[in-house]
Amino acid sequence: MTEKFTVYLVDDDSGVLKALSRLLRAKGHDVKSYSSPQVFLEEHDVAVPGCVVLDVSMPGLDGLEIQRVLTAASGYHRPVVFVTGKGDIPTSVRAMKAGAIDFLTKPVKDKDLFEAVSRAEARDAESRRLHFEMESMQAKVSNLTPREREVFTHVVAGRLNKQIAGDLGTVEKTIKVHRSRMMEKLGIRTVADLVRMAEKLNLSK
Amino acid sequence: MLLFLFGAESRAAEPRRVLMLHAFNYTFPATTLIADGARKRLLERSPQPLEIDADFLDLARNTDAEYESRIAMFLRAKYERRPPDVVITLGSLALPFIVRHRDDIAPDAPVVFTSVSPQNYSALRLPPNITGIISVFNLDKTLALAERLQPEASRLFVIAGSGEVDRRWQSTARKTIEDRKRKFEVTYLFEHTYANLVEEVSKIPRDSIVMLLTVFADSEGNAFVPAQVAGSLSGVSPAPLYAPYDTYIGNGIVGGFVETFESVGVRAADLALQILAGKDPATIPPQTNPGQSYRVDHRALARWKLQESKLPPDTAVLFKEPTIWTEYRGPVNAAILIVALQSLIVGALLVQRQRRLRAENLLKESEERMTFAAAAANIGLWQFDRPRNELWATEHCRAMFGIARDAPLTRDAFLSAVHPDDLQTATQSLRRSLETEQPAISDVRIVLPSEEVRWVRMRARSRSEGGGRSNHLGGIFIDITEQKSAEAEVALQRLEVEHLMRVSVLGELSGSIAHEVNQPLTAILSNAQAALHLLAQESPDVVEIRDALEEIVHEDNRAGEVIHRLRGLLKKGERKAEYVNINDLVRSTISLLNSELIGRDINVRLDLESGESLARGDSVQLQQVLLNLVINAMDAMASTPTAQRSILISTREAQNGMVDVLVKDRGHGIRPKENGHLFEPFYTTKDHGLGLGLTLCSTIIQAHQGRLTLANDDGGGAIAVFSLPIQQPAIGNA
Repeated sequence: MTEKFTVYLVDDDSGVLKALSRLLRAKGHDVKSYSSPQVFLEEHDVAVPGCVVLDVSMPGLDGLEIQRVLTAASGYHRPVVFVTGKGDIPTSVRAMKAGAIDFLTKPVKDKDLFEAVSRAEARDAESRRLHFEMESMQAKVSNLTPREREVFTHVVAGRLNKQIAGDLGTVEKTIKVHRSRMMEKLGIRTVADLVRMAEKLNLSK
Repeated sequence: MLLFLFGAESRAAEPRRVLMLHAFNYTFPATTLIADGARKRLLERSPQPLEIDADFLDLARNTDAEYESRIAMFLRAKYERRPPDVVITLGSLALPFIVRHRDDIAPDAPVVFTSVSPQNYSALRLPPNITGIISVFNLDKTLALAERLQPEASRLFVIAGSGEVDRRWQSTARKTIEDRKRKFEVTYLFEHTYANLVEEVSKIPRDSIVMLLTVFADSEGNAFVPAQVAGSLSGVSPAPLYAPYDTYIGNGIVGGFVETFESVGVRAADLALQILAGKDPATIPPQTNPGQSYRVDHRALARWKLQESKLPPDTAVLFKEPTIWTEYRGPVNAAILIVALQSLIVGALLVQRQRRLRAENLLKESEERMTFAAAAANIGLWQFDRPRNELWATEHCRAMFGIARDAPLTRDAFLSAVHPDDLQTATQSLRRSLETEQPAISDVRIVLPSEEVRWVRMRARSRSEGGGRSNHLGGIFIDITEQKSAEAEVALQRLEVEHLMRVSVLGELSGSIAHEVNQPLTAILSNAQAALHLLAQESPDVVEIRDALEEIVHEDNRAGEVIHRLRGLLKKGERKAEYVNINDLVRSTISLLNSELIGRDINVRLDLESGESLARGDSVQLQQVLLNLVINAMDAMASTPTAQRSILISTREAQNGMVDVLVKDRGHGIRPKENGHLFEPFYTTKDHGLGLGLTLCSTIIQAHQGRLTLANDDGGGAIAVFSLPIQQPAIGNA
């Protein structure tokens, strides 16, 4: 989170590339320009916060494909703003469904671009935060003993201690111990927080 | 003794006497002719002097017995002292008379008779010292003559009078006619009054045969001379008359099989001479018809239009006209020859003249026809004689060149009608034709007095006469205004179609082309907005702003170029002739197609000749060709996997002074069924194609003296190549 937000620009048209880059830089963004989508994919570092401004139609790889490749590689959704010369509806629908921030048609108005980029920045920050939160939660869950994980799922399922003890073939007291240790390890105080976490981690079955 | 001797001598010298006893009077030609023939003969042949007496019994007119005895008495008295040594009878009736009265007139004198029919001869039972000539008047053979001359005749009229001889003829005729093989419708004109007979004869149909026998007397007892009757009857008869009598011939009848009475006379004289020489008349048998033959009158043949060729052989044709011929044969022959030669020459000259006239007429007609046909085909004919400066031309040329009706057709009159710009073309063409003796063709414009301009094609050909340098020119003028305007229209239509094709291609590419303009617009807008943002900062980065502005200029130019190219392609215009850099042509074409290529995932590679080759022509049209070829290449790769889609465009200078432009794709190539059809108009393999693309490309390239070919590449796909001649501009002109 320490590194500065960077806008990655990919367009095969050098004139457009230069102009968009200049515009974003004038707004104060850090910009990295790529005229070749292949080079961009090779050099791209997901760890760096930022967003991608992609031309839809480019020789070799088109923008939608790049978006797919990016997501597949990192597992997290790098926010993408599409810019296109031919804003046809099917392409824009596909792009939006795939999670694009916006679908801008050329010539791009600065306000639209800036707004899209700032939304992308926010999205990137959010998804980046969620990403870390998840990672830490998963790390906490992975610290639980198997018995504590069993108790975790039972608690999230809304079972009482007595019922859990019955289910697991032990006594209520033992369950209480496991439960408090589990809550402690996960740094959670209330059952409600526990349920929310289980939902986020998709453990609530 | 002397006296006796003298007397004997004188007795010996005493002439022998011949008596010619005529049955009729002296007007009877038959007996007269016999007597003449006989007397001539007797005087010629007799070794001793002869005394020839003649008496005319006139028995035809005087038939009573009293008359006969009176004349017998007269003759006895007449010849009592000088009895005849021989009696010759003339006419059949004279013989019975002498037989009855010989003892009175000339006792024991031998008799030579003539004109006695065989029937009479046998009926008379003559004493021994009578001999003579028996005449058979041959009706049968005379009929045969008539039949030969008139083979078509079906009616026969037989004429005989009412006299004794006539009546004998009546029965003879009936029998003879009945015995003939050929049957006629027979009318016997017997026993008529003379007037009645003439009346009847004049009514005989033209195609009949009229057989005249004898008319010694008519039914009223009037006596006639048969030969005169023959003359009268043949004068009124519409049909030809025939008769077995020689005397009738010359009196109007056609003829017959006859004994000439003269020859009868001669024969009779011969018999008399034999008797006078001492021969016993009893030993001399009578002779029958010693000299009979066919005899005809040529004038009568002509009158009744009977053909001489149908006569029996050996027919004697009497009264034939050409006596001058026989008399002046030599001079006539010479004269005729000269006249014939002259006629021949005159005739030949006439024929010659006729021919010439006809040839002239034909020529005139032919010329008229040609002139008419030429005028109808809007063609004028002309000929020019250079040494004499004489021009001949058809009247139609006047109309073509707008020369006034009364103005003379001269060389200058024609040349002054030619458009000033084309005058040189016209005169050069004519001069060249004269010099090279080759046909020359040139198209020139004619300005008519109404200022209307017409195109005339001049075809000229020199005609050398006598092998020398030719001074004669001939040829035609053809009005080709319509052809020219049709050509112009076709050219215009082709330009129109080319333009439409370009428009349709651009229409297809409109999205991509819009993108090509949109890109620089995008860059311009973003640069401009960046500059504004920079300016709004507290310490604006001037360098960055200038960069942005420069980019704006650059991108604006870029957009301008695209629009310029588009305008070029969309503009309708005449074909231009300018220097075209082939590599530039490729680059600018590809830049137009850039987004389309990207949109279709097609990779384009350029492999361009390093030396920038120049061709001469219309850059828009050439770009159209390349555009078409590249679009075809793109279309051909619709089903090619994306990774393999690529087009290679290369330019290279060939050895033969041409520059080749190759467009190679990786598509399906040319399918066998398409081969040979691709350049045909309206042949298309595409769903939405018009089928004119390649046809137009080929036409355009050919118009640039180039060639367009299509072939399959060995590595798959097709290669389209067009070659254009390299044209290096003169230095300083580039």
